[in-house]
Amino acid sequence: MNAVAASALAGHAFLRGMPPSDVALLAGAAVAVEVPAGHRLFDEGEPAANCWLLTAGQVALDLPVPGRPNLIVETLGGGDVIGFSWLSPPHEWQFGAQVLEPATAFELDGPAVQVLCEHHPGLGYQLAMRMLAAAVRRLQATRIRLLDLYGPPGGGDAG
Amino acid sequence: MTVQTLPARYRVASRAAETHDTVTLGLDPVDQPIGPHLPGQFTMLYAFGVGEVPISISGSAGPGLVQTIRSVGAVTRALCEVDPGQVIGVRGPYGTDWGVADATGHDLVVVAGGIGLAPLRGAVLAALTAREMYRRIVVLIGARSPDELVFATELESWREGGAEILVTVDRATAGWTGHVGVVTQLIGRAQLDPAAALVLVCGPEVMMRLTARALCEHGVPPGNIRVSLERNMRCGIAECGHCQLGPLLLCRDGPVVSYARAAPLLSVREL
Repeated sequence: MNAVAASALAGHAFLRGMPPSDVALLAGAAVAVEVPAGHRLFDEGEPAANCWLLTAGQVALDLPVPGRPNLIVETLGGGDVIGFSWLSPPHEWQFGAQVLEPATAFELDGPAVQVLCEHHPGLGYQLAMRMLAAAVRRLQATRIRLLDLYGPPGGGDAG
Repeated sequence: MTVQTLPARYRVASRAAETHDTVTLGLDPVDQPIGPHLPGQFTMLYAFGVGEVPISISGSAGPGLVQTIRSVGAVTRALCEVDPGQVIGVRGPYGTDWGVADATGHDLVVVAGGIGLAPLRGAVLAALTAREMYRRIVVLIGARSPDELVFATELESWREGGAEILVTVDRATAGWTGHVGVVTQLIGRAQLDPAAALVLVCGPEVMMRLTARALCEHGVPPGNIRVSLERNMRCGIAECGHCQLGPLLLCRDGPVVSYARAAPLLSVREL
């Protein structure tokens, strides 16, 4: 783990456009991490305290099913944010996360970030809007998957 | 110009199952073959005694054709069930092509959803045979599940030929190590140069609309995005009007249409 320069953190897509003073505050609660393939970032039901801003690699969000391999819900890559559960009660991971391809990320210390946000509402606003935007994108992607886009139009009998 | 309105006889030389409902046929001409074709164009395939359907051309095999068909109705079911040696009718080629060479000196990006890879296969193969003409060749593929990927056995050879390929599925199965999510999520991962990319998109219409919208959000100009539209093509020669989409007769003005032209038409109800 390494301390993070604000300039490096500012380059992540999730933080693009954030005022430099806010990025500098956030950098104090972030470390740069390299995670090997196969490592589990967290498991369902564990306390959720961190958040990762992926810069490279691939991570699968999954769900354990007894007697079967974990079900992969979604895969995430560079530019994505991993971890929303630290933001709201019960502060437990709802899914697990396993690194599929060696990953690099900025890991944010959730409780430290929350303290920062309470003392610096401007940072809190910036972060909340970005988390909301990321959640909306994920919600929209999930809705699109529910449409079963690749099936035959109208279910068939097209010719 | 002479337009072909009578089907030419083609013998089924090969039949390969792509998925549980999709097959790829290799077709050899019995008599005079149809005229030369370009990637993106389509033919009318005739299952004798059953009917005729428009099917995009997936490639060539000498004087023959390669066509991939999904069984979704009576005619396509009959075509999917033909055996090698049987004869079917072919008219065409019809319509506009992808214009692959327009990406010369730039990046060629292909985005396919489900069987939408079939009309794009010819474009990918054409680009790979002239690999040095393009900076990057990027192929983004979305499918329901790994079992429903078409041309799955060819993808490695495309990689070896110089294409960057990202595949995502809606539902992973055991052993799947690729992406899971919608094909639009691959656009960000591909790190495209939006100012220098010609993007060819094919799949169900909703998928194409959402993909084109995502590409625009990433900065790709609508004029650099091409989609393949399908309506009820019947005559293939812009006479019957069944395939009308606003001012377009898609058998003549399509199937490949610039998104700049198509976008206003795709949001009109009942058009």
